Amino acid sequence: MTVRTDEPPVPSSARAAGLEGRIARLLRIGTYSAVAFIGAGVVLMLASGRSPLDVAPALAPGRLVTDLIGLQPAGYLWVGLIVLLLTPAARVAVGAVGYARAGDRPMALIATLVLVVIVLGITLGLVSPAPGTQGG
Amino acid sequence: METAVLMLIGGVGVGIFGSLLGLGGGLLIVPLLTLGFQLPLREAIGVSLVCVIVTSGASAGVFLERRVANLRLGMTLELFTAIGALLGGLVAFLLDERVLAGLFAALLTYVAVSMIRPRPASAGADPVISGDTPPDEPRTFLDTLSGPGYRVRRLRAGVVGSVGAGIASALLGIGGGLIKVPVLHVVMGVPLRVATATSNLVIGITASTSAWIYLIRGGIDPYATGPTAVGVFVGASIGSRIAHRVDVRALRVLFTVVLLYTAFQMVRRAAGVQ
Repeated sequence: MTVRTDEPPVPSSARAAGLEGRIARLLRIGTYSAVAFIGAGVVLMLASGRSPLDVAPALAPGRLVTDLIGLQPAGYLWVGLIVLLLTPAARVAVGAVGYARAGDRPMALIATLVLVVIVLGITLGLVSPAPGTQGG
Repeated sequence: METAVLMLIGGVGVGIFGSLLGLGGGLLIVPLLTLGFQLPLREAIGVSLVCVIVTSGASAGVFLERRVANLRLGMTLELFTAIGALLGGLVAFLLDERVLAGLFAALLTYVAVSMIRPRPASAGADPVISGDTPPDEPRTFLDTLSGPGYRVRRLRAGVVGSVGAGIASALLGIGGGLIKVPVLHVVMGVPLRVATATSNLVIGITASTSAWIYLIRGGIDPYATGPTAVGVFVGASIGSRIAHRVDVRALRVLFTVVLLYTAFQMVRRAAGVQ
């Protein structure tokens, strides 16, 4: 293995600023995209005469593309909600990779554990019964 | 059509109020939807969690770019706030809605009392320096969480506070900043401005962990969520732009009255009086 000595090392503060900048961009893009999808869903909902108090179709991942093409409000609303809920998790994933690349093992481990907790929540939500709620 | 527009306008109002008073929208969205639109409490909490993620996502990016939020500290605490949110999200579906209404009434009363209580002279100022500077070379993990001009302390208390904030967030649909900011600032020695920004960052993970559980279990209705979330997003954007031109003192009094009235209505709901 060769060690390059002709380039100055990147200061840790600059690395941190780079990671924070990437995460900030991701948060902005994720949130604005999600709000754009949800906003489109609201416009379609109003145009089709549906009320927010109507019961919406349950989330069916296999039908989302068809609903988007067919300009169905629920499709746009569900995609917006999923993008929105994925954004914080994606932010943590970017952090985990960034810290791992910088050799910051404790922070990489912590970020990975946060992702594990989120995945655990999704799994428990899927496998355990939901007393007292409707199916969607 | 009319209901959607009213929800949108309600969301804008909540976004403006929340932004001007430095509160997350959750505190207002749940009463708006349950008392104003007769939505079931658990469904209103699901909508509120989504709105909290919207406001957190929009502002946390700005705080990070300005290097106000402490990313390392935020990520460390959000492990524990996510655990709390996971536990709270699972418990929320086991509790009777009247218990949740009672808890929410207690929270509203606490916030109303906090708002009218006289503040110490230093509370409004932003203590940039906490007086305890970090060492040049970090010796412990805690040192690596400190920032320029302040040293983080009492991580264990921060961990406990974060778990509690996560549980409260999942049960009541709030961001949990009401707990996180005091813990970060008063207990852990983080300057108020950094504490607020870091809490804002953490709130996204707190709310999304429990929101996934709500979404999977049918606790989030996209039709009710859509207009409210868009309204809150627009309102929060307006609020952040007009904040410096508004007399917040008068708003604070009005808000306290609204909170106390809402708490009274929630108590009635908890007692089964509609």
